[in-house]
Amino acid sequence: MDYVVAVLLPQLLHGLVFGAALGLLALGLTVIFGLLGVMNFAHGELYMLGAYAGIAVMGLTHSFWLALLVAPVAVGAIGAVTEVTTLRPLYRREPLYGLILTFGLALVFREGARQIWGGDMRRILPPFTGSTPLLGMTYPNYRLFLLAASSVLLLAIWLFFTRTRAGILVRAAVQDAEMLDGLGVNVPRVFTLTFAGSAALAALAGLLLAPVFTVYPQMGVEMILLAFIVVILGGMGSMGGSVIAAFVIGLAQSLLTLWMNPQRVAIAIFAIMIVVLIVRPRGFFGREGVLE
Amino acid sequence: MNRALSWRALIVWAMLALLPALPFMSKFYLLLAFDALLFGAIAMSLDLLMGYTGLVSFGHAAFFGLGAYASAVLLERGVLSLWACLAFAILVVGLYALVVSFFSTARRGIYVALLTLIFAEVVYTFFRYTQTFGGSDGIQGVPSPRLIGEFALDTPLRNYYLVLVYLGLAYLACRVLVTSHFGRVLVAIRENEDRARFLGYNVQRYKMAVCMISALLTGVGGALYPGRSAFATPDLMLWTVSGEFIIMVMIGGLGTLAGPVVGGAFFVLLQEKVSSYVDWYFIVIGLVLIFIVLFMPKGLLGIRELLGPRRWRTTA
Repeated sequence: MDYVVAVLLPQLLHGLVFGAALGLLALGLTVIFGLLGVMNFAHGELYMLGAYAGIAVMGLTHSFWLALLVAPVAVGAIGAVTEVTTLRPLYRREPLYGLILTFGLALVFREGARQIWGGDMRRILPPFTGSTPLLGMTYPNYRLFLLAASSVLLLAIWLFFTRTRAGILVRAAVQDAEMLDGLGVNVPRVFTLTFAGSAALAALAGLLLAPVFTVYPQMGVEMILLAFIVVILGGMGSMGGSVIAAFVIGLAQSLLTLWMNPQRVAIAIFAIMIVVLIVRPRGFFGREGVLE
Repeated sequence: MNRALSWRALIVWAMLALLPALPFMSKFYLLLAFDALLFGAIAMSLDLLMGYTGLVSFGHAAFFGLGAYASAVLLERGVLSLWACLAFAILVVGLYALVVSFFSTARRGIYVALLTLIFAEVVYTFFRYTQTFGGSDGIQGVPSPRLIGEFALDTPLRNYYLVLVYLGLAYLACRVLVTSHFGRVLVAIRENEDRARFLGYNVQRYKMAVCMISALLTGVGGALYPGRSAFATPDLMLWTVSGEFIIMVMIGGLGTLAGPVVGGAFFVLLQEKVSSYVDWYFIVIGLVLIFIVLFMPKGLLGIRELLGPRRWRTTA
């Protein structure tokens, strides 16, 4: 019992917290993939830019909350500009070019951040400290907030996609962009706004996780690999699948660290993915013929 | 065979062989030339997959790095024969490539890129944390391999000629391959995989075969690397290195073989030149890649088409 309360339970919560944040990142990735057919290699860099934009805002205003508001908007704007100037000309070409292009974007963003903010690790202090007694243990308040905020965001995104006209338009564009165009919808605008939204989500995830992790220019590189695995596991283009897979990976990662050293965990995560792909080639919720 | 080995390629190769005779070719420039040709050859073998078959591998750094490790492990333990190193590299890379190509060629498009990437990450993580192979420091300070008897490949000049021979043989192999029936089937798969299947070709077997060939050529290139650098580190297998290989192919021009050689050499020289002036050369390289994807999708060799109506086989 002591083991459960002292070791297992905190680790379980860690996994949930990380999974929720990973879900935010993977959702943006999977929606962009559904829309443009492009696996966005620059997504991790948008996540990184979110954290740095937050640091910049906090340097000016000393307010974490203001940063949480401004950073996603700023990164979303960067995303919109990037989409219009670089991805839009590629709509009619093979998705491969888009993939390679985002790799170039990632290089520019990463090195740009290193030039502006330097290459050393930084920490953000959480906006509030202390911990709450919970189920016989104490758990840091900020992590609880992180879990709540990510869950609310995930719920809001779900409501957006099911209950609002804009959300339904995005889903329609995933299904058949040409048809939507024929119905008189400005499809390029849908693409641009969705890309901006996905960039803002990545930035939000970056800033929310920053007080828990460290901030450095390469931070996106490690996260993006996990996010890729999540998207593959969930089934390409399946939003619900991505969220579920994010929690699976988050929990697997934090629980496995109890019994293995970190590098074994990394390999175990890869192994999970490879096994899932052998058993279910399209991931948890991928359907045959969708985006293939 | 005649068509495969054009006189133009031979002349370029002969000129490269005369390169060390130039008065300004110091040791430094010879090593730079070594890198340029080595990565050019690797980009060329990646082009078999990307340009001809339409499969993007984001895991070629693992083939390269495994080759380098295979060779470095033997050299470190006192097995100095170059041929033993090459054979061991082919064995190791071949076994790994068999697994990777089996799983990744069963899928299409984006899945291929992601699966090769994940497999490469497994290899990277393994070497990064396994102390037997030096962990994150890798294997340092290995002796030079011996060609025959006690003839050591220990000068930049000898290494340069070694890589030149490798490039020549690899080019010949790739050229023969893409002009053969096999190469035609690959292009058919790229153009329309379903139709190729309906015509009765076992598409996956073809994809696996070309993936293996490309991986082995890259692995052999990797096996030559410790002879020049005296080390093999896990950083050689980072997935961003795979991305650099892709950049080289894109710079040179997809599906041209000669293009990626130029692209690889261009990339190495660009990196060297730019990084000697500024420390933000990744921005330059990123911008070059973006520019090429947007405005020159046929790469550097695409410029030829602007220069005049010369006959030139681009894609087989």
